Amino acid sequence: MNFAIADNLQTSSGIVMDTSINEIPSISRPKWRKVAYGGMQPGFDDNNTHDSFLEDMVMNTNVVKRDMVKVMQDSVPISQYLCIVALVVLVWSYTLRTTLNENSLLIIDVGLLGSGFLVLLLTEEMLSLNLLHYFLNISFFTSGLYVLSPIYQTLTRSISSDSIWAVTVSLLVLHLFLHDYSGSTISAPGALKNPTLTSCISLNASVVASVFIASRLPSRVHIFAILLFSLQVFLFAPLVTYCIKKYSFRLHLWFSFGLMVVTLAFVCMLHKLIFVVLLGLLVFVTVVCPYWLIRIQEYKFEINGPWDEAKLVLI
Amino acid sequence: MGDQEIHRVLMVSDFFYPNFGGVENHIYYLSQCLLKLGHKVVVMTHAYGNRSGVRYMTGGLKVYYVPWRPFFLQNTLPTFYGTLSIVRTILIRERISLVHGHQAFSTLCHEALMHARTMGYKVVFTDHSLYGFADVGSIHMNKVLQFTLADVSQAICVSHTSKENTVLRSGLPPEKVFVIPNAVDTAMFKPASERLNGNEIVIVVISRLVYRKGADLLVEVIPEVCRLYPNVRFIVGGDGPKRVRLEEMREKHSLQDRVEMLGAVPHARVRSVLISGHIFLNSSLTEAFCIAILEAASCGLLTVSTRVGGVPEVLPDDMIVLAEPDPSDMVQAIRKAISILPNIDPQVMHFRVSAFP
Repeated sequence: MNFAIADNLQTSSGIVMDTSINEIPSISRPKWRKVAYGGMQPGFDDNNTHDSFLEDMVMNTNVVKRDMVKVMQDSVPISQYLCIVALVVLVWSYTLRTTLNENSLLIIDVGLLGSGFLVLLLTEEMLSLNLLHYFLNISFFTSGLYVLSPIYQTLTRSISSDSIWAVTVSLLVLHLFLHDYSGSTISAPGALKNPTLTSCISLNASVVASVFIASRLPSRVHIFAILLFSLQVFLFAPLVTYCIKKYSFRLHLWFSFGLMVVTLAFVCMLHKLIFVVLLGLLVFVTVVCPYWLIRIQEYKFEINGPWDEAKLVLI
Repeated sequence: MGDQEIHRVLMVSDFFYPNFGGVENHIYYLSQCLLKLGHKVVVMTHAYGNRSGVRYMTGGLKVYYVPWRPFFLQNTLPTFYGTLSIVRTILIRERISLVHGHQAFSTLCHEALMHARTMGYKVVFTDHSLYGFADVGSIHMNKVLQFTLADVSQAICVSHTSKENTVLRSGLPPEKVFVIPNAVDTAMFKPASERLNGNEIVIVVISRLVYRKGADLLVEVIPEVCRLYPNVRFIVGGDGPKRVRLEEMREKHSLQDRVEMLGAVPHARVRSVLISGHIFLNSSLTEAFCIAILEAASCGLLTVSTRVGGVPEVLPDDMIVLAEPDPSDMVQAIRKAISILPNIDPQVMHFRVSAFP
């Protein structure tokens, strides 16, 4: 054992050991070993730092090197969804000012439904099998909304308009903050990821916001039309955009670009200040944030080593 | 070291008796050893339930149970200057010359070290656990540790892996960190006077049954080993949140006569449980220095353990069989241990462990 050898060395070369403790190790001094038994290793202090110190440390193994163009492309879904929400708010404000009447709203609804379905059919083959099933579901949903719309007419009659705007805005901000931008909460059958808690919360926030806005409208048909429009967009727009993205990335980029242009044009017609804010927000999300992320990525320092808690990979 | 200067040491930690664990034992035994050498030791900790005030323990060890309420996992509420008056009173009244803080997770320790350095006392810190770098709690704790250890005189770690971990977390120069492993009382942990019968192999597990100590691994390993070796019996001591899973496993595989669950084992009875076995199984996922395997080796058991943290450094290679923290690998290690078991002599093992100075 190491201890026995050390004992012999110490008795035979006592004077040499005493004077050469801090000098270049002579052949008689045993090697330092990284062990915690056997007490003090002869010739070495307790605070001796061997050359093998920290040699098992691994740095930055899981860090991904990011490319500016790729990060900008990945930020497109966020700005695209921002534009969609901006369009919905636009339609709400036009309806509340009675610029849009209920018939045009109904036409928009049917148009949206048709085009959404078309996109889904073109980009995903498995949906074409259950067309009747989906048609039945849609008709149940629509008739249910129509039957329930008188309830919403008097829902917030006793609440002042300011509270309604404040609650709606905060709910929409919550919705945007917690939204799942990578996929869709309502997934196509056979999708891999389950919806997370935050994406469910964001979906509920958007639905409640649209109910609040709908309750401010004068007649039943108005309420039905606006609710149908809002729910169509909030429930199915993520699914449609996800299908487009999966089908063809270039189509996704062009679609987003077109959407952004259309949104900015409409908002510009509505109110100049909001146009500036929206433009600034889109530039921030698409250009400033990726640059910032890449700049601070170089400070990342991930440390792994034998001291890490073991990860169990059990069923 | 020929100076006979008598030091008056203050040990500070949130963790002391009546709470039971490795840190508490370490502080107590270290204090007893220092008292035997002629130094004076005072321990400062927070009040446990009704136990508050000043108490005297064996050998004249004075313990201050400061009347502060613990708020999270036996830690006192961290108020930066709230402890200053009591710490100053104790330091001046006992004429302390050296302050020794234990365990990075203890808020009382950090505050006392900070106040002691403000007043110019010499300060030593001992770290007993390994911590990560990535989650929010660890990041916060490492920042506090950097702050406290910026000015410490020396630091002590219990194993070389722990030294690397502490140096990385706190930014201390490595020369300031001393590696002084924990010790076991070999007089208390003696093997059985007569050998156990050879036709049955008993594997002992004593640990807190929590996730950190690998209770999930045990749930996978025990049925497999019982299936492969009909003459193997398990004794599982200890209690915790994962005990339910072990009981379920026992019911599911009908191992009631082959797996014995003892519940929480008081420290005085640990030796009697250990000497009833041949092999000690340790499945923890992270350990700075596993004192349990040293106790098991002192009682003459062959150890099978997961290769994590500081465990590979604790025992020589012929007293321990290491495995990756994976059920199949652990079963292989138990197979190897069973095959080398006939060559193990408990008295020789105990003698070797007690020869570690």
